[in-house]
Amino acid sequence: MENKHKILVIDDEEVVLDSCREILAGGNYHVATAMDGTVGLKLVQEFLPDIVFVDLKMPGISGFEVLEKICALDPTIVTVVITGYATVSSAVEAMKKGAYDFLPKPFTPEELRLITQRGLEKRKLVLETIALRREKEMLREHFAAIVSHELKAPLSAIQQNLFALVAALSSKLTEGQKSLFERMKSRIDDLLKLIHTWLRVMSADIGKIQENFKSTLVTSAVSKAIESVQLHATHKDIEIITSVEEPSGLVHGDEGTLAEAFVNIIGNAVKYSRVGSQVIVKVEEKEDNVLISVTDTGVGISKEDLPFIFGDFYVGKSGYMVERGSGLGLAITRRIVEAHNGSISVESELGKGSTFVIRLPALKNDSHNQPTLDSEALANSQEGDT
Amino acid sequence: MSQPKKILIIDDDPDFVEGLRSILEAANYGVDAAYNPKDGFQALQAKHYDLLLLDIMMGRGAEGIMVARKLNKDPKLREIPVLIITGIREQIAFLFPGQAVHPHFMPVDELVEKPVEPKFLLDKVSDLLHRAEARKAQAK
Repeated sequence: MENKHKILVIDDEEVVLDSCREILAGGNYHVATAMDGTVGLKLVQEFLPDIVFVDLKMPGISGFEVLEKICALDPTIVTVVITGYATVSSAVEAMKKGAYDFLPKPFTPEELRLITQRGLEKRKLVLETIALRREKEMLREHFAAIVSHELKAPLSAIQQNLFALVAALSSKLTEGQKSLFERMKSRIDDLLKLIHTWLRVMSADIGKIQENFKSTLVTSAVSKAIESVQLHATHKDIEIITSVEEPSGLVHGDEGTLAEAFVNIIGNAVKYSRVGSQVIVKVEEKEDNVLISVTDTGVGISKEDLPFIFGDFYVGKSGYMVERGSGLGLAITRRIVEAHNGSISVESELGKGSTFVIRLPALKNDSHNQPTLDSEALANSQEGDT
Repeated sequence: MSQPKKILIIDDDPDFVEGLRSILEAANYGVDAAYNPKDGFQALQAKHYDLLLLDIMMGRGAEGIMVARKLNKDPKLREIPVLIITGIREQIAFLFPGQAVHPHFMPVDELVEKPVEPKFLLDKVSDLLHRAEARKAQAK
């Protein structure tokens, strides 16, 4: 059963209080009244009303102050000001301060009932919005846990049994049969990786990585990234050529996530390159930026596709599908780069290849600013530099 | 030949357990399994085990961590080497913000991700058994 709605009326005129009580008595409401602001505010805390009607002109605490205090106590309480004709402008003022509506004196029973009903409707919506927002946050936060367990667990169990089976049969399997197992293993691996990446987008609050920012060498993140895609490149007979210009890019950031971003970009370059070609990774400092560019001579991206590639779940339609992707790598990369106050851009021509450029604001590497400094000291010296 | 080493697996996913068991038994380990923390704890108290394989996300949350904490408080049980096997490394980091990815719960423990390649699993298991033995020898 739904609780009765609670209405509080604060007015120094007893006639008004009486008539409000009488008018609202027919509805399914609890009505409380107060003769002045002090009593009214006390009732707000004890009675926990849904709507408060406040007379603007009262002895003692002014109606405005009452409004402000109610808002401070619980901003979800709907407030309506009661005011004489002469003070319509102050009613407008009150509404600017957060009052939901105003009720000009004298009012008809119908007007009061209508405003009450609308006010309750508003209160319901406000509370619902808050509940939904909280639910959405909870969902997002728990998504990682739920999805990890529900999706990854069965896949892990399948993979583990597959491992066990292959190990047990290893001496009996033919090369062909082994390759069938390899296929299964690799597809399950892909699926596990996909879930992992997907989770990263859904749940990871990439903005949070900023808390761990410290002075970071871009080149070291780049080498780590190259290391992790090297195997794939070797498989495809693709040479990764690095060119680093000194001084070599110190930025305020997080090495792990930067490496992740570079893995995505360099990995893509390898993925969309033709066998036997080259991928060029360049790190240089230009003006106040560290530029990391990755160039390939692969399949390229069509003009129609270019504007969408940094969006979620985009997978190239460039006709020439070389390898499958999750369509999230670039979106994650963009978020990581943006969390570093940087930007990412791309130039590409279909069939000829692409160049991705990541720009990160450079830290000046002077004697006061060695990489060993903690992030707070860095933030300070950074301010001094600019 | 020496007695086969006894391993207890605590994991709420019986299918996953069978995948581990087959690999371990093929390598001549004796394997028991418990499918929830409570049974697992009882098994540990009732019988001697040389190693524990522990899942983290069980039941309503990170119950594996509770098991590890409880074991660590027991002067006898805390000497058992533990291989923590979890499906979600990032989740561990998330549970312990600001800590390294591998939180050490026990004197001798190690963390690996699900699924585990057989060779990797066997390497970790024998490594942990050696480390525990070295620790025991040192204590004497």
